[in-house]
Amino acid sequence: MDRSKDKLLSVDSLIIGYGSKHLLPPLSAEALKGELVAVIGRNGIGKSTLLRTLMGLQPALGGKVMIDSKDLKELSRNEMARRIGYISTEIIRVSNMTVFDLVALGRYPHTNWIGQTDALSYTAVKDALEKTGLSGFETRYISSLSDGERQRAMIARILAQETDILIMDEPTAFLDIVSKFDIVKLMLNLASEGRTILFSTHDLNIAVNQAHRIWMMLDDGIAEGAPEDLVLDGSFDHLFKSGNIGFDKNDGTFSFKSELSDSIYVEGEGPSYHWTRKALARIGYSVTQVPADPYIISPSSKNRQWILSTSGKQHCFDKLYDLVRSLSTGERM
Amino acid sequence: MLLLFFSLDIFLGSVSIRPSEVLSVFLGNADSNIETIIFKFRLPKAITAILVGIALSMSGLQMQTIFRNPMAGPYVLGVSSGASLGVAIVIMGFYSGIAPSDLMTFGNWVLTFAAWAGAGAVMLLIMAISARIKDVMTILIIGIMMASGLSAVVSIMQYFSSETMLKAYVVWTMGSLGNLSSGQLQVLAITVIVGTIFSIFLIKLLNAMQLGENYASSIGLNIRSARVLVFICSSILAGSVTAFCGPIGFIGIAIPHIVRNVFRTSDHKVLVPGSILAGGAVMALCDIISQLPGSESVIPVNSVTALIGIPVVIWIVIRNKRVSGLSDG
Repeated sequence: MDRSKDKLLSVDSLIIGYGSKHLLPPLSAEALKGELVAVIGRNGIGKSTLLRTLMGLQPALGGKVMIDSKDLKELSRNEMARRIGYISTEIIRVSNMTVFDLVALGRYPHTNWIGQTDALSYTAVKDALEKTGLSGFETRYISSLSDGERQRAMIARILAQETDILIMDEPTAFLDIVSKFDIVKLMLNLASEGRTILFSTHDLNIAVNQAHRIWMMLDDGIAEGAPEDLVLDGSFDHLFKSGNIGFDKNDGTFSFKSELSDSIYVEGEGPSYHWTRKALARIGYSVTQVPADPYIISPSSKNRQWILSTSGKQHCFDKLYDLVRSLSTGERM
Repeated sequence: MLLLFFSLDIFLGSVSIRPSEVLSVFLGNADSNIETIIFKFRLPKAITAILVGIALSMSGLQMQTIFRNPMAGPYVLGVSSGASLGVAIVIMGFYSGIAPSDLMTFGNWVLTFAAWAGAGAVMLLIMAISARIKDVMTILIIGIMMASGLSAVVSIMQYFSSETMLKAYVVWTMGSLGNLSSGQLQVLAITVIVGTIFSIFLIKLLNAMQLGENYASSIGLNIRSARVLVFICSSILAGSVTAFCGPIGFIGIAIPHIVRNVFRTSDHKVLVPGSILAGGAVMALCDIISQLPGSESVIPVNSVTALIGIPVVIWIVIRNKRVSGLSDG
């Protein structure tokens, strides 16, 4: 399948780092038109450095960044600003700056010598505000915005810039879960309109469940692909260096690898069965597939309580908390 | 407002002249004494005041934006002192035995260039420091230290210089708004007008600079050349004023703040003309106050600007406690 005509942004043997210090081996990856791409990796591996290099904010130490089929180096600052919009983790604090003024600054590469907001720019700013749900916020001062609103204003700014590539460094950091999903939904909408969005995140839940493609930064380069492919091929096991953290392919979550001391059998179904297993895993029990002693019956339509059976004796618990406590301390209530 | 204070500045002075008499001077039928006072003293002085106000507040606005530091200003960061040192080197170093009154127009330009160089050098130094230290107050303290340090160097130079050179320099430091020869006024007017036109072309990039280096660069601004342009412009404005009027404090820091808070905007399309008008007006007002209208004595204009400017500075410091860190303007 030939996807090269849709390839909007790609890196080819790119070396990132500072001075003569190379952070990682040469990186190669690509992003197609209309894709939401999550950049993930452990702290300090160079996610921000990669994004800054893509933006031309720091020089590539080798290799190329390609936009369409053009080398980034051949674009002037202004041409670049018409192709790529950028949001860093830095919070803009300018007193007396209104939301409109902030968003209008996105028009910078399009305006004349004095930065006049002409009719075209005015429409672009209004559209950007509407898309980000900030209509009516024009005269609000940016210092009075909540974290979520401010992030949306920042996104409105790069929409007004009218670029087809958006690069965002941790756009969902510091946001509560509602604002987080607002932003992700917005990013998905913007991608569906044909923009390519590259964002770094530590929220693997968002990366795995929402992104079209993941660039996973590992010590030996970038592993890229659909999130599900990366789960299946075991790439997630290498995401963190630590040996204490394990990735569960079945439910797509990370957890401590605890020393599994005892085994136990659980009978049950549905959510209560699922969460009983999770609670047992947390305190170091491995759950066996064959009936054994001791065993637990999790609540179902027949019974409302957890029943723990050890050596023929049965104990009932109203809450998982009590069951877990009983197992870990050995006390029976 | 600017026009009002400009005219008031002409009408009011140590020698009381009735307004009707002032008007008659302009109509061309007054006695020669009054005519001399108006044309030789008050008019040039009022023009100087306005030029100085414009130059200092523009320079302050540009410095505050480029350093993203509300406390920046030509005086507090030592840029004016840098310009003084430049002038001191010229007067005490090269012009041995020549009194400033003998300096020809050419001499005025030499002084001006020396002041620009001194101002520019301090600007570069502050820039280098603020690249490393982000804390607004720390930079302010370093700026004040630098200003004191530079004054100390000037004092040492005074100590070792000959009597005539010393006299020439002291006369210069006492220079206020009123001591400019017509040649000097001409040089000042040219540089301030050039600097102001220059400033208007910097409006767009100053707006972008507010966002900080990374964002400004991401929307297509060439940071390095933008900085150099603002540096040159700011040094020309602050340096020229210092070259002829000595270091004048607090106008550069206070006016941009007053304008920001009156117009409640961060847009330089408003801030630049606002600072030009307010700077000129306030400086003319300071000049009026310094002449103590109705009385025969004159107080140094620097004291007046300090009394007006310091409360503004204190207010910024107190307000900044809450928003500590970068760039609350």
